[in-house]
Amino acid sequence: MGGYGDVELIAKDGKRLDGRLADELRPITIEVGVLPAARGSCRMTWGLNIAEVAVYGPMEAHPRKIQRPDRAVLDVRYNMAPFSTSDRIRPGYNRRSREISKVTAEALESIVMVEMFPRSKIRVEIEILCAEAGTRCCGITAAAVALADAGIPMKDMLVSVAAGKINDVVVLDLDKAEDNYGQADLPVGIMPNTEEIAFLQMDGDLSPEEFDLAMEYNMKAAKEIHKLQINALKSKYDGGVE
Amino acid sequence: MVEIVPRLLKDQLLKLAEKNDRIDGREQYQRRNVDLEVNVLTNAEGSAKVVWDGTIVYAGVKFEIRTPWPDRPTEGSLMCGAELRPVANLKYEPGPPSAESIELGRVVDRGIRESGCINMEELCIVPGEKVWGVMLDIHVMSDKGNIFDACALAGIAALKTAIVPAERFDVGDDHPLPVSKLPIMASYRKVGGRFVYDPCEEEELGGDERVHITLGDDGHVHSLQKGLKGTFSTSEFAEIFANANEQANELREMVEEKVN
Repeated sequence: MGGYGDVELIAKDGKRLDGRLADELRPITIEVGVLPAARGSCRMTWGLNIAEVAVYGPMEAHPRKIQRPDRAVLDVRYNMAPFSTSDRIRPGYNRRSREISKVTAEALESIVMVEMFPRSKIRVEIEILCAEAGTRCCGITAAAVALADAGIPMKDMLVSVAAGKINDVVVLDLDKAEDNYGQADLPVGIMPNTEEIAFLQMDGDLSPEEFDLAMEYNMKAAKEIHKLQINALKSKYDGGVE
Repeated sequence: MVEIVPRLLKDQLLKLAEKNDRIDGREQYQRRNVDLEVNVLTNAEGSAKVVWDGTIVYAGVKFEIRTPWPDRPTEGSLMCGAELRPVANLKYEPGPPSAESIELGRVVDRGIRESGCINMEELCIVPGEKVWGVMLDIHVMSDKGNIFDACALAGIAALKTAIVPAERFDVGDDHPLPVSKLPIMASYRKVGGRFVYDPCEEEELGGDERVHITLGDDGHVHSLQKGLKGTFSTSEFAEIFANANEQANELREMVEEKVN
């Protein structure tokens, strides 16, 4: 959070700079089976964000020390392409992408039925091609769809979405300017059927009441995004959308 | 990949070659379906996506202002990198760039650089002090064979659509990156004892040496690379060199059509 609460991000009519209401998402599209080399894949556009995810496996886990006798391990990489942001990113791992990869893996391990594949590994490759705030949510949401496309058994879907605070107002799905000049960001990963939380981060400043409202927005949005995930899968496997 | 699979595949490819056939039914010099889209990434100053059958590649251009090399005070620079990230295929492992990845980047770089398609003098802002550095990054998302040609095509198309962001850096007005030529790569693989154009994944797995040829607008050659174990005769090379010209002309027309 930049924490510059004095930059005007909400107009007098209550609308945000891009015309959205407080609890409105940016436009989202989800497509599955987009990467022919992968076992499962997903392309998600979320506002200006673009994420493409490939899933490989389950396969033998190596090096052997990462094997778990009772379950599969998820080998998740979140990576931003060098041209995905306004300043070029040097290729290779950095602290931020490492942390996001780690929390993403842990979130996905909570929904994948990992105990069905002892000693094996499932590779999840998240590539951010265009970044405009909210890429970790976009990556996690797309990764869950790609896992389903790969036929990996899962307990539930996973939707990740963020709410935050700008100009002392709780809003859903912060865009770039709102993220830079906002006061709080609360990304969560929600299992849409059980409403359990598999991923949670937050930074900034929220009162308990603001936190509750942010979570309420997130929960509502998760249900909306879940429909898009299901429709994307249905359009590949069920001959079309309901 | 286990050694035995390419062995069996090699036998199969040899039998097909004897009948002048290919594993996917194509003719010796027939290209798979290629689709090119430009300006697909909003945060890149120029971008392209190539869908070359099952091979998918993105290219993006970014700019920086840097001090010129002391021996070339009035010239900007071009840097071209290709990444073979593990997203692209089961066979790619995470870690520092592999030799294959570096070769890919350097072969694509030479083809573009040596064609002289970018006049480096035009990238000078203040002689001896400030020049533009052009950074072309190529990202392979799905490898189903012949990533070299797909990368080179995406790379030149992204450069051709790039806008120099001078306003953002406070050094004048935004303007298109001057790209005067369209170098195009054509790649061949020795499969079952003869060269084929545009090898698919199985042909790469069960094939021998490869040759990459980059040709400029006037048919002049700008980069060559022979890769992997294997040898070929000068007459074999003459045949694919002649064919490369036809292939390059067709793809060049495609780029011209998409960027204009």
